[in-house]
Parts: sequence; structure tokens; C-alpha cells
Amino acid sequence: MLVMRRRAGESILIGEDIEIQILHIGESRIKIGISAPKSVPVSMKEVKLVGQENLAAAQLRSVAALRNLLDRLIEGPACGEK
Amino acid sequence: MVFPDGIPAFEQEKRFLALRQPINEPMVFLQSLANPNLCFATLPAMAACPHYQLNMAPEDLDALGLERGRQPAIGRDVLCLAVLSLEENAPPTANLLAPIVVNLHTLRGRQAIQTDSPYSHREVLPLREAACS
Repeated sequence: MLVMRRRAGESILIGEDIEIQILHIGESRIKIGISAPKSVPVSMKEVKLVGQENLAAAQLRSVAALRNLLDRLIEGPACGEK
Repeated sequence: MVFPDGIPAFEQEKRFLALRQPINEPMVFLQSLANPNLCFATLPAMAACPHYQLNMAPEDLDALGLERGRQPAIGRDVLCLAVLSLEENAPPTANLLAPIVVNLHTLRGRQAIQTDSPYSHREVLPLREAACS
């Protein structure tokens, strides 16, 4: 992976017509501006992950598998709160 | 319910019906109105994770016509559903990173990727071991 150091207000060019500008650097996140031709899709990486997950979820499994899941679902210990 | 932007990988699917059946409580099925073969099994986020908290991005709040200043209350302002994945030979997971959020007042919905989320798009559900095999 190519690594560059940039300050707020500075830009990076990719090819002839894509520009990525560092707009603002906050404490835990940065704001970037992206100029690209309409033909180049730009999205957060999570959108792709979620799309793949939706495709997997749409392969609807058997009703028996769902029942089995419901029967075994426990309320609590909370997930994500490790 | 109307999803003006569809959901990721199903951008053309704009309308869904939420189906609940007493026998399948607390599960909610999201049935596409355009495509009879497309149906998602979901769980209310609170059923998957009792202390679930929303942390929606300002753009998502705007898109659903919700106030920017605060996070919407699940159950009062919005319906919040986690899409389930049940793959063979893998534990069932719920997408708590990107729940389906529906404004209960307008029935406008969107799959909202949470910001600074402690949750994953494949959160393993807490299950009991299968009762004797």
C-alpha cells in the first residue's frame, strides 16, 4: 500500500480525474472530499460488506433452520459489549 | 414500508412489507413487494442484543426525516431490525453494524450503517446448545 502524509487542505490525485482532498482533521476522524467522474462508484467500504451480507441473507434457508434458531435464542448476554 | 434507496446489493427493491407471525416471534420477515422470492429474516435489534444503541450518521437521520440533534428511540421513533444470515455449517449471525431502520411515523426506511459501532455485520447470536441431538 502506498502511504502519503498530508495536511488539512492538501490533496491527492489518482489518475487524471480523481482528486481526494483532506478537508478537516478531527480528534478521531477525518473529513475528506472526493471528486471523481460519475462513472466511478464511490462508497464507504462498509456498504460493500453490508451488500455481501444482504446477498447471503437473501438465500433464504429452510423454515426448520429458522425455528431451530428461535428455539435456541437466548436473551442476554449482550453481544458487541465485550 | 418504502426504502427510497433500496438496500445495499438490492438498490432496486424500494418497497417491503414487515411480516410478523405469532409462531415465529420475535422474528420479523421483510418481504419485497416487487420480488416474491426476496424475503429477509430479521430480529428486532433489541432481541438480538438487549442493550443495543443506535448511532446513526447525520446523513441517515436526514434521509429518514429524523432530528439531527439526537438518536431516535427504538420502538417509539423507529423500528430497528437486524438482518439474519443463516448459512449452513456456520453459526447464525445478525447484522448489527447496519440495521434496517424505519421511521415509524412515515414508514420510510433505510439500512443505516452505524458510526463508531461496537457491533459487527456478522454478530454471532447468543444461542443455547441444540437440545439433545
